[in-house]
Amino acid sequence: MSSFADLRRALVAADPRLSRFNPLPRILFHDDFDEGVNGWCELIGNHDGNLDKVRPVISDMRPPQISNVSFFDIGTHGSVDGTYALKLATRARAHHMALAIKRLTYVKPGLVQFETYFTIKAEGWIGTLPERHKSFDGNVDPSVFDFGDFCIGNDVCDLEFGRRYHCALRYLNTDDDGNLVRKWMYKTSLQTSTRMVIEGAPHTTDYHVANPNDWAEVPGGEQNLCYNELPTKVNWHYLRYVFDTSAGRNVELQVNDKIMDLRSIPVPTYGKGYWGLEKLLNFCVDVRTHRPVRNFLFLDSVLVSVDW
Amino acid sequence: MLKRSFTAVVERNVTVEGRLETEPYETGWAGEARWFVHVLAADADTVLRIASEISPDGLTWCAHEADPVSRRGPGLVSLPLTMVGPWQRLVLTTEPAAPIKVIVYLTLRE
Repeated sequence: MSSFADLRRALVAADPRLSRFNPLPRILFHDDFDEGVNGWCELIGNHDGNLDKVRPVISDMRPPQISNVSFFDIGTHGSVDGTYALKLATRARAHHMALAIKRLTYVKPGLVQFETYFTIKAEGWIGTLPERHKSFDGNVDPSVFDFGDFCIGNDVCDLEFGRRYHCALRYLNTDDDGNLVRKWMYKTSLQTSTRMVIEGAPHTTDYHVANPNDWAEVPGGEQNLCYNELPTKVNWHYLRYVFDTSAGRNVELQVNDKIMDLRSIPVPTYGKGYWGLEKLLNFCVDVRTHRPVRNFLFLDSVLVSVDW
Repeated sequence: MLKRSFTAVVERNVTVEGRLETEPYETGWAGEARWFVHVLAADADTVLRIASEISPDGLTWCAHEADPVSRRGPGLVSLPLTMVGPWQRLVLTTEPAAPIKVIVYLTLRE
């Protein structure tokens, strides 16, 4: 190990804001949402100025919020450090998705690592148990059945008219009937683009895939996240996701102590290239409700690093 | 450091017919706020009234102290807020209850 690597590791370890991450050699950005939104913005479909032309599935992805993570029963929870987190919130409408994107381009192909501390919750209620919930046993909080899924992913293109693909990894908390699934999934079809719809492709109902069923289980992807009973108790989870813009594939997903090898997972690539996307490197996070209940994804902070 | 600011498009290209409450939006960090409503399409006789509501938890709402404002026909209307509070939403009503199309912006500043 070089003295530079040792010194760098010591410096990272000595910084409380960095030492909970495990960055690759170059930190591309470190977003602490105590400092603002840091470029995470709402995604919207392509249009020519006429908003009626925005595809419905991508017309209402909701603006991210800087949240102090407050609840009706205990007040402010705050984030891992500091006060604020980035919050994505769906509407209280079944299958509505909120998605935030951060847009860069890349200098060299290679490994890209996205790390975050996150938590998920369904919106709670004040008063009587809603009719959709049958019982309360003091441990399994009914609101966990109101949380649908959340995703991390990207949008990458190496060259103009070159290789473009989206990776998306979805934590499926419940199925459409509200049964707990709690598995990581990967997408098996292309994300329908605006150009594809203009060229005749059907509109889609799941932003990521052509058909809502185009998801497969990540091998060994079962994982019990810490919901911790109440919708107002927040426990932050560590997530590390690595992809490779040289090979054009997923590499690895780690969530707490669980590490999933993603190298063998196929990544759908567009057969027809796109103009104007040279070295595109977009990062995406989203949350989707399956019920008419708001779902929330909170990010304390994000650190993205690369191997160049 | 310059003061942080943020523009949220809380409704975009939506039709209001009678009454619309926007989604809850967290504003605990903001010292001041201003709503903008861009009326994209409306009959000349239709009056839009906008009123801000606040909440401690995003679940329960009451009126903000700022007086509501109104606008007739297409164009832009604004409602400034101080003492912003932790959550905001906007209540839009049309009179008569004819459909209008709007974009709703919530602009925030430390």
